[in-house]
Amino acid sequence: MTARAFTIIGLVAFLLIVLVPFWWIASMSFKTYEQVQFATSIYVPRPFTWENYTVLWSATRFPLWLRNSVVTAVLVTLITTVVASLAGYAVARLRFPGRESFASLILVLYLVPPALLFIPLYRVLAELGATNSLAALVLSYPTFTVPFCTWLLIGFFKALPRELEEAAFVDGATRAAALTRVLLPLAAPGIVASAIFAFTLSWNEFLYALVFIQDETALTVPVGLNLLIYGDVFSWGQLMAASVITTLPVVALYMFIHRWMVEGLAAGSVKG
Amino acid sequence: MRLPRDTGAAVVFLSPLLILVVGLIAYPFTRAIWLSLTDKLVGYPERFVGLRNYAYLLDDDTFHEVVKNTLVFTAGSLVLKVLTGLAMALVLNGVWRWRNFFRGLFLLPWITSTVIIALTWRWMFDAFPGRGFFNSVLLDAGLLRRPIAFMATPAGAMAAVIVANWWRAFPFFGVSYLAGMQAIPRELYDAASVDGAGTWQRFRHVTLPGLKHVLIVTIVLSFILTINDFNIVYVMTRGGPGTATQVFATYSYEVAFNQLRWGRGVTISIFLVPVMVVAIALVSRYLLRERE
Repeated sequence: MTARAFTIIGLVAFLLIVLVPFWWIASMSFKTYEQVQFATSIYVPRPFTWENYTVLWSATRFPLWLRNSVVTAVLVTLITTVVASLAGYAVARLRFPGRESFASLILVLYLVPPALLFIPLYRVLAELGATNSLAALVLSYPTFTVPFCTWLLIGFFKALPRELEEAAFVDGATRAAALTRVLLPLAAPGIVASAIFAFTLSWNEFLYALVFIQDETALTVPVGLNLLIYGDVFSWGQLMAASVITTLPVVALYMFIHRWMVEGLAAGSVKG
Repeated sequence: MRLPRDTGAAVVFLSPLLILVVGLIAYPFTRAIWLSLTDKLVGYPERFVGLRNYAYLLDDDTFHEVVKNTLVFTAGSLVLKVLTGLAMALVLNGVWRWRNFFRGLFLLPWITSTVIIALTWRWMFDAFPGRGFFNSVLLDAGLLRRPIAFMATPAGAMAAVIVANWWRAFPFFGVSYLAGMQAIPRELYDAASVDGAGTWQRFRHVTLPGLKHVLIVTIVLSFILTINDFNIVYVMTRGGPGTATQVFATYSYEVAFNQLRWGRGVTISIFLVPVMVVAIALVSRYLLRERE
C-alpha cells in the first residue's frame, strides 16, 4: 500500500468515525416520532420536520435551562477571567518568594478531579446556604476554571516580551499603568481564549450541577437533558434537538479560537 | 532578608486565587478526609468511627467489582486512545492541503459536552432499530436478523462506555502526537533511510522515541481524567446492568446520594487519592519542565 492510499483511507475512516455520531443525532432531531419508532427513513429524515425544535422551545423547560446555563457560564467566565489574569500575570512576571512553587500548585490544582470534591463541597455550599440555586455553580465552577485558565495565562504572559513593560517603567509609568496600557492590550488574545475555555468548561459541566441543584427551574442544560432521557415521556426527537442547540454555541466559539487552541494543546497544556 | 520589591503587588494579585483555593478546594478536601472517618448519614449527626469505612470497603464485594471495572474502563480506553491517536497523527501528517481544516474537524468530539457525547453513544448502541444506529444499519443491510441489546449485557455495556470515552478524547491524542511528530527533525528520517530502514523501522526507531515525552504526558493526563470519570458512565448506564459498569465516581455518588451514606461515599473517592498523587506528581514534572 502506498503512502498516498494510506492517507486517503485513513482520512475517510476518521471522517466517518467523527461525523457519523453527530449526523445520527442531528438527523434524528429532524425526524417525527413515528419515523424513529418504526425505523422508517433511517439515513435521511424524510419528511423533514422542525416539530421537535418547536415543541422543545414551547412545551418544555429547555429555554429556562438554556438561560440558566448562559447566566452561569457568563458569570463564571467573568470571575475566572479577572482572577486568572491577575494570578497569571503575578506568577509570570512578579518577583516574590515562593513563585516557583506557586506555578506547581496551580498545575496540581488543575488536575484535582471534581469527583473527589463533590461531596464535601456540597456540605460547604449547604452551610453557606448556596445549594439549589445558580449561586452554587457560580461559586464552585471557578474551582476548576481558575486553575486551568491561570495555567494557560502564565504561559501566555511569559511569552510576551518583557522589554515593553520595562520601557513603560523607564518612562515613569506605575505598575498599574504598565499593566493596563501596555500589557493587557498585548495579552488580549490569550485572555479571550482563556475566557472561551472557561465558558466552555462551565457550559458543559455536569457533576456539580447534578449534585448541587434539585429544583427543576434552576437546572442547567446538561442536567436537564439527563432528566429528559430518564423522564417518563419518550421525547427522543426533542432530546436530539436539545443536543444540537447546546452544541452549536460551543462549536461557534471554538472555530474562533481553533488555531490558538491547537497550539495550546501542542504544548500539552490543555486537559484531554 | 529584604523581600523582593514585587511581594506586595503579588499578594494583592494572588489573593483572589488564594481565597478560592483555600475556601473551595483545600477546606472541602480536609472535610472529605474528616467525613471519611465518620459514619455520617444524611439527617443524622456524624460520629467518629476511625477507619471503619475503609475496612468496610476493603471487604465489600461491590467495591472490589468497582475497582476491577474502573481498571478495565481506564486501561481499555487508554489503549484505544493511544492507538487511534497515533493513527490519526500519521494520517494527518501525510495530508498537505487542508491539514488544519481536518485537524479542526477531528477535534469536534473533544469540545462537545460529555453529557451529549454519552447521550449520543447511548443512542448509537440502542437496542431499538430507528433509535440505535448499529441496529438500524445492520438490520437494514440484512446483516442481522434481530436487533442486539448491546447495553443489556455486562460486557456490552462496558464496551459502550469505553467507546464513548475513547471517542471523546482520541482527537486530543491525535493532535498532540501530530505536533510531536512535526517536531522530529527530518534529518533523522533521512539518516534512517540511508541506513536502509523501512517504513515500520523508521516509525519504531525514529517516530516513537521522538514522541516519548508527549506519549507520557497524554497517557498520564488522560489516566487522571478517565479513572475519575463520572459523566459518561452515569449518563449511559447508571453503573448498570447490575454493577457491571460501576466505577469509583459513580459508586461514590450512588452511596452518598442514593444510600445517603456520606462518610462511606467520600471514602470511596479517597481510595484514589494516593494514585492521583503519584500521577499528578509525574505529569507535573513533565509539564513544568516544558515551561522552563
